[in-house]
Amino acid sequence: MLDKYTCLEKLAARRGDELVVTTMSVSVPWSRLSDGPGDFAAVDSAMGHAAAFAHGLALAQPRRRVIALSGDGSTLMGLGTLVNLAQRPAPNLTLVIVENGTYEVTGSQPVPGAGLIDYAAIARGAGIKSAHTIETEAQFEELLPLHFSGPGPVVLVWKIAQGSEGVPKFAASVRDRGRRMRQALTG
Amino acid sequence: MVQAKLILDELKRQRVTHVVGVPDNGSRALFEQLFADPDLDLILVSREGEAFGMAAGLWVGGAHPLVLIQNTGFLEAGDAFRGTVYNMAIPLVMLIGYRGYKTLQPGAPRVDTAASFFEPTLKAWDIPYTLLFDDKDLPQISAAFAKVAATSMPAAVVLVEETT
Repeated sequence: MLDKYTCLEKLAARRGDELVVTTMSVSVPWSRLSDGPGDFAAVDSAMGHAAAFAHGLALAQPRRRVIALSGDGSTLMGLGTLVNLAQRPAPNLTLVIVENGTYEVTGSQPVPGAGLIDYAAIARGAGIKSAHTIETEAQFEELLPLHFSGPGPVVLVWKIAQGSEGVPKFAASVRDRGRRMRQALTG
Repeated sequence: MVQAKLILDELKRQRVTHVVGVPDNGSRALFEQLFADPDLDLILVSREGEAFGMAAGLWVGGAHPLVLIQNTGFLEAGDAFRGTVYNMAIPLVMLIGYRGYKTLQPGAPRVDTAASFFEPTLKAWDIPYTLLFDDKDLPQISAAFAKVAATSMPAAVVLVEETT
């Protein structure tokens, strides 16, 4: 099992000008590492739509890499998004599914199919060619470059230990966070 | 009936970059022309809620999207609409087909609940809207774009009749 916080720190250490979209139990930990105009926390939003948001962002900004850090519960709510990613590929998009088997922010109840689902296989079945599961630190180090480059869409499943993040709260509204990123991208 | 070509011409005048949606019977002609039109980027989604998440991402990224769905899918997309384009105050125009409108007329043998729930839901979700019946109503589309630009909130033009 991976440690979510270690993975996020390594991602942040390597991150350049990529746009990062987060949601749910990843959003606050990521914001402690990076919270600038290139970061968008899809919270106080609609669960399950961070990946679709990132897809739209990637299509609108083809010269910028977009990394979406989503969760397994969120992914289950929008499985069709995996099909959308395949049928309208964004070469600059990486979707990370942070899989802990739970709805962490609501008390770590199990998500449906916890322990049974192979999200990488679902992604490949949806037509996404580059989909990989990462379970160990050695695998993470090996596949870290793929988060940032390579023809997308790339789907990477981080198998992480259960955590205990609470409901994410941000001082700035989702309206203001969206406008901050848009302003940075459009001038 | 309303001509699909005239709708697309107006979308191009409004500089729409992407049309995101799910086809339905009423918008069939519109989708057929969108598939063939190189000037408008049509993006299909698997379920209507995804259209709102995607439209939000497109807009934040600097694009000018429009959502094209039917009232059934609009109802399904409720929380997605709320959490993305509404909460983010995105100036999005939606073209929404009005399945079942005729069943609301006096004497109709049955009522389609997609229709009976539709306008009350638009109102409940704080979405200004107009009903577009035929070609003479086409100025509603430019009016909707003007409205969302002024308010920075989403608005809908409801396609009551089939497109041809």
